[in-house]
Amino acid sequence: MPSSAAWARPEELVESLSSLDNTARLKALRDVKNQIIGNKTKKLSYIKLGAVPRVVEILASDTEVPLLVQSAAAVGSFACGIEAGVKAVLDSGVLPHLLKMLSNGDQKVVEACARSLKMIFQSTLAPKSDMFQSHRMELIIELLNSENESVAEVAASVLARCCETVDHQRALADAGGLQSLLRLLKGSVKTREAALDALGALTKGNKQLCAALSSMDQGRSLATIMKLVKDKSPRTRLLACTCLANVGKASPSSFQKEWEIRTSMLSVLVKLFDEPGSVGEEAPGVLADLVASNEELQEVALDMNTIEKLGEFLRKHELPSKQLAGVLMALAELCSRFQESRRQLLEMQVQAPIIAALEHESTSVRAAACSCIRSLSRSVKNLRTTLKDERLVEPLLKLLNDSSADIQELALSAVSNILLEFTPHKAVVFRCGGVSQLIQLSQSMDPTLRLKAVWALKNLIYMSDKTLKETVMGELTCNSLVDLIFDSEEKVREQAMALVRNLVYGDEDSVQLSLVQDAVLLHAVEKQLHESTQSEICIQGLYALSNVAAGSEVHKEAVMNIIIPGTSMGVNRNTSLLMKYLQDMTNPQLRVGALWCVINLTFPSSLGVSSRISRLRNGGVEAQLQIMAEDPCLDVKDRAKTALEQFSTVEIPPR
Amino acid sequence: MTTISKFKSFPVRINWDFRDLEAEKEDRTEGKEKGSGRVWRLKGLPHSAQSRFALEFSPCWQKQVEEDRKTSRSLITTPQCRGNPSKSSSGLFRTVAMPGQVLPPPCTFLNVGQAFTGTQNVSSGQKDEAWKVNVRLQGCDIQQGYLCGSMEALNVPSAETPVVTFWEGEIVDNKNYTFFTGQWDATRDTDVKHWDRFPSFGPLKEEVKKDGGRSLDLANYPFMFMRWKEKFFVNVGTDCGLTIAGFYYVCFSRSDGSVNGFYYDPNSSPFQKLELIATNEGRSGYSFATYKFQ
Repeated sequence: MPSSAAWARPEELVESLSSLDNTARLKALRDVKNQIIGNKTKKLSYIKLGAVPRVVEILASDTEVPLLVQSAAAVGSFACGIEAGVKAVLDSGVLPHLLKMLSNGDQKVVEACARSLKMIFQSTLAPKSDMFQSHRMELIIELLNSENESVAEVAASVLARCCETVDHQRALADAGGLQSLLRLLKGSVKTREAALDALGALTKGNKQLCAALSSMDQGRSLATIMKLVKDKSPRTRLLACTCLANVGKASPSSFQKEWEIRTSMLSVLVKLFDEPGSVGEEAPGVLADLVASNEELQEVALDMNTIEKLGEFLRKHELPSKQLAGVLMALAELCSRFQESRRQLLEMQVQAPIIAALEHESTSVRAAACSCIRSLSRSVKNLRTTLKDERLVEPLLKLLNDSSADIQELALSAVSNILLEFTPHKAVVFRCGGVSQLIQLSQSMDPTLRLKAVWALKNLIYMSDKTLKETVMGELTCNSLVDLIFDSEEKVREQAMALVRNLVYGDEDSVQLSLVQDAVLLHAVEKQLHESTQSEICIQGLYALSNVAAGSEVHKEAVMNIIIPGTSMGVNRNTSLLMKYLQDMTNPQLRVGALWCVINLTFPSSLGVSSRISRLRNGGVEAQLQIMAEDPCLDVKDRAKTALEQFSTVEIPPR
Repeated sequence: MTTISKFKSFPVRINWDFRDLEAEKEDRTEGKEKGSGRVWRLKGLPHSAQSRFALEFSPCWQKQVEEDRKTSRSLITTPQCRGNPSKSSSGLFRTVAMPGQVLPPPCTFLNVGQAFTGTQNVSSGQKDEAWKVNVRLQGCDIQQGYLCGSMEALNVPSAETPVVTFWEGEIVDNKNYTFFTGQWDATRDTDVKHWDRFPSFGPLKEEVKKDGGRSLDLANYPFMFMRWKEKFFVNVGTDCGLTIAGFYYVCFSRSDGSVNGFYYDPNSSPFQKLELIATNEGRSGYSFATYKFQ
């Protein structure tokens, strides 16, 4: 009798799933499964009728092979292509049963269960960490090594989906996953792709495993993957590129003929942009990984019209999130260094979609959009012309409070670039309360956020007028700034010193800010100059002092007392801060900074110049300058000569 | 920037006169090959206008000039896509073409925020005219041989307010850029002729004429040579009566931060001199601000 005509009503079928008669159960299972395959409406209606728990029950308690195979297959169908189905099977607690069945003695059962697992793990709803509990991991590795190739393939696909953290990667590698996966590269196209996919997940952002992969089998394993970059199957090409991009990113010169391989990967990926489906969607993201911090490759990409191709995607509406994030990330990388790339992209008039992406619901899209703005804003010219759209300010400021710290960091970097003196955005940042946000973030417990926030404040203060400086300092407070000058992180200390430098840059009113609250800032700078061994920190400190020394007599005297303090015995030649830095041979910039202090302190026609010159002379400075007039560094040499000229205007008094 | 010649969109047919101009002869004889580089002038125009039009032709672009004259277009040809003649743009090893070259060490007067002040002499013929000019550096990337900033021209007769432009500069470091401009309508001949106006170019001249001076050690030279090219007007429209079609050949002194420049634009009066000094903006000392992109 023809089966289609014989199907019972759905309600009856669902009833039969719990029949006590094995044959009836089997038939009902088969009928349900056949009805729902590829039919979302049917799936939903059977889910409503409560079929899923009954199917799972069979898997949990039956022992007969056909029943197990059919129930596993039905679970897979429910979970295929419909999130409600995945949720229903997971809610019925199917996972432990499927996993348990993977060790069933019958290959058909194992295969059917593995296939269902694969369906489930294609969804983001699947609980990934569950797979890494010890015995389950062993089981998966065992399946990877299964003689049944489709079982091995399924195991690899499951791994590709759930290997997400460093812990996962390590667990998998410790269990011998790398070797097993490499072995699968010799299998059918599907198996190979599943294995490559898993290898990609295993090596993503993991230096150790990338190194392990490249050295495995004297580099032959990696060579196999390289060959696959030119495979017939687009998906294989994409996945091979993914693996190699990971390896390349982790260790820049890890394989032979690196340059040729990378450039050919680049052109393969650009061509893959046009592939339909997931390959085309994922290719831009892989390209982003490939060109990350590789300027030479970025330049080649530029020649391949990559910017234009990627920019075209932004003009289309409704890109899938993954693709949009990949496109934006690739553009962010390509525009990170080259102005020509930035110019090409901005000329395509895609500012609006990039700004819109800042408010996208997907975290990775928001992060990628931030990165993109950050790259594009690394140019004075762009900020004044093609990127002057003020609409980007508000969404960026909103992202400063994003729940993801990664996004906060990226947004901070972008904000830091757009609030410079010459940008139209600066006023908007101010109006929207961005300054308060930055000040709050400068007090964050997260050192990276703190660093970037102080950096942004430094940029904000750059060339600002006194009103703005006072507003910022009123909210930040001198005491907090002093805390930042003594932060536990060196890089934060450096930025805080540079902030002081910008604060006291300019006319006497600005310089005067160094003396407020008993000159607390000046003393903090002084202390750092005494204690720090980091030249980057000290350079900023010396320029801060030099800026103060460009002020009034009072300011100049304050600097004198710091860098060449007098004692009752006169000036101590060997211990003055000034001599320490004039004689420092580790970094010429330290000497230059110290020389500017001298030049400003001996600036002609200032009132107390004669007295200062004699004090400096007594401190051995003039003699040191004479040595420095022959310094190997041009800048030092020129500044020393200028300083000497200024000394020469005041005669040495007769003894 | 400079004034737009009021004869710029002069009607189509022009009669060219071959007489040499005494007044400009000394500017224009050096390095001239026989039969080229003659000074041309327009027949029947007053002397002051003549000098503006005094054009020096290299035979190779004479035709182009005439074409442009007919259509009243600017003489500027589209600059090369990435006007950077020294970089190789293909091949496996995409390092720069002159690997042995060392970049110039930093100079504090090329710090972002640094201000320069002085004049640009825009005299033409009998008219003696000079503008006050202020420049401020807004970006500097020695690695890329790049700098940029704003330029403000004050007391411009034709403008009601000071005119501000934004410019970008190329540092001749033999790594990113060479003495040969390779764009903006400047031939090698034009280049040498303008560079040669700077006394500090003297010792380099022969080498530059030979091979562009690629093997010169510019990193330790007390002067830095640059080209400053204005990109757009900041506070006025393009109808402000000024043109930024040309660019400046610049010689920067590392020791005192002074800047000398010559404006080059085939349509404007030649060798307009820019003279600037690094200024402390009236403070009793030099101060230095800092910013950095993230």
